[in-house]
Amino acid sequence: MKRIAPIDIAGGILVVAFLALLPMFAASNYLTGVLTVCVIYGIWASSWDFMSGLTGRENFGHSLFIGAGAYTAGFLSSIWSTNPWVSLPLGVVIAIAFSLLVGFPTLRLRGPYFALAMLSASAILQRLCLIFWEYTGGEEGIYGLDPLMKNPLHYYWFVLAILAVTVIALTLLAQSHWGLLLRAIRGDEATCQAAGINVTFYKIVSLMISAGFAGLGGALYAHYQLQVSPPLFSVVVSITVIIMVYVGGIGSIYGAAVAAILLTLLTEMLRGFGEYRLWIYTLTLMLILFFLPNGLIAPLWRRLTERLR
Amino acid sequence: MTDLLEVNGVTKRFGGLTAVKNASFTLKKGEFTGILGPNGAGKTTLFNILTGFMQPTTGTIHFNGELVRELAPYKVVNRGMARTFQLTRPFVGMNLLENVLVACMSPRASEDKDKEARASYLLGQVGLGGRDKEPVETLPYGDLRRLEIARALATRPDLLLLDEPFAGLGSSEIEQLAQLIRRLHREENLTILLIEHKLREFMALVSRVIAMNFGEIIAVGPPEEIVKNEKVIEAYIGKTEEAHASA
Ligand SMILES: Nc1ncnc2c1ncn2[C@@H]1O[C@H](COP(=O)(O)OP(=O)(O)OP(=O)(O)O)[C@@H](O)[C@H]1O
Ligand SMILES: [Mg+2]
Repeated sequence: MKRIAPIDIAGGILVVAFLALLPMFAASNYLTGVLTVCVIYGIWASSWDFMSGLTGRENFGHSLFIGAGAYTAGFLSSIWSTNPWVSLPLGVVIAIAFSLLVGFPTLRLRGPYFALAMLSASAILQRLCLIFWEYTGGEEGIYGLDPLMKNPLHYYWFVLAILAVTVIALTLLAQSHWGLLLRAIRGDEATCQAAGINVTFYKIVSLMISAGFAGLGGALYAHYQLQVSPPLFSVVVSITVIIMVYVGGIGSIYGAAVAAILLTLLTEMLRGFGEYRLWIYTLTLMLILFFLPNGLIAPLWRRLTERLR
Repeated sequence: MTDLLEVNGVTKRFGGLTAVKNASFTLKKGEFTGILGPNGAGKTTLFNILTGFMQPTTGTIHFNGELVRELAPYKVVNRGMARTFQLTRPFVGMNLLENVLVACMSPRASEDKDKEARASYLLGQVGLGGRDKEPVETLPYGDLRRLEIARALATRPDLLLLDEPFAGLGSSEIEQLAQLIRRLHREENLTILLIEHKLREFMALVSRVIAMNFGEIIAVGPPEEIVKNEKVIEAYIGKTEEAHASA
């Protein structure tokens, strides 16, 4: 329906090119590794933003899908020794299965049920990993996954390409008639009903899409770390992702991806500050969210490029 | 003419309060009917029940011969019964075109392939032509009412339910909106059920009035009979005149 503005395409190409070239200027593989994690967070954040940002249904347990994708990769690659490339499609499928499990009973209801169900489901999965430690490796998790690619730089480029595809696909969807309906649901469900729209259906499908990309990101993460463990399901992961989206500018998708990359980099750079790290990080976030309730990245980008639209 | 809508013994209780009491009536295809009643008579509640937004405590509703009770509101809309809200409910943050586009996405509008063109045409139909890109936030009340009607029309209804479309409008705006509704009724082959609590607006518009008071239907008939009806006079005319005096 709406086209992506040329300036946004140009900006996107520049950012991706910059990110692709960045590790070339570092002496070691350290930066490549950090950037790989940054980019994977970008996939997680933009996939959260697609469902929750557009429909306004906050998902407090995105780690459920991330962990589902990652553990799928863990079981497949490490325990059943399948080809690591199988992890990616199956990680997507299993994450979507979980989205149906939680979304189907709760998205038809109004109120906080969906948010709470997501939160509890992710917490339950984290517990189950510990309870069934014989199969899941408990606290230690699952080790010894096969890498998808030998060269870390190639893997980084691969993951970056997937982020680019994710952001483009979700943005096109968000700007289509479909995206319009999701934003309408955010606005007023009763009006949507009066307009003949099956609100529940659209919410569930958008959650499936969101879960699919998160599961893909989870599997990619597992094949980067070559290990999965229960904290992947933790609330901390979910909250981190939500904060990234808010800093990026909710509903913008590309903003979420960029904010995820910057915030992950920031955490990494603050390592030098030792125990002050968390304080500095939290303070930065609080200042951003307090003074910029609409977020930082997307509003800033729109401001900068206003004249070029 | 066949019955498009058949309401049978519909009652709605909210705790101790009976908002609609044993209401029965039918609407024929192509009819233009009004529901008259003072504040709190149960008019909006009746609309909510017809359109699936509320379930009746007892009673049945048949639309086009099909039982619509317990259908979700969006399903009712897709069977051909569309409504507007008494307090207009636009999608804020969207422009006029997008507001109507949402309804053009309903399954019932699947024949309309070019959604933008259809939405734009409907805005023209309700007198909002050429204003596709305007935000809804700055829209005056009268235009919001028109937008609600355009959104309802986008679902290609057989029966259009209008909840107090004239409330809060000035007399020239009322006249214009009445003309629009009259035209829709004539040209689009719509059956219309319109709520109003001032008798005056009805006289020129509707061919039949269903008068309600305290949740009960107290009289049904052509407007010129309704104004002479004892019960109606007792229940409304005094109040209506008071309302007019205070307005
Ligand atoms: N959801 C609800 N819960 C409890 N009581 C309600 C509810 N909706 C309506 N009522 C009550 O039912 C009665 C009928 O209300 P309704 O809105 O149907 O009246 P109305 O005829 O549309 O009045 P108005 O002309 O003011 O719009 C009122 O006493 C109202 O307070
Ligand atoms: Mg009312």
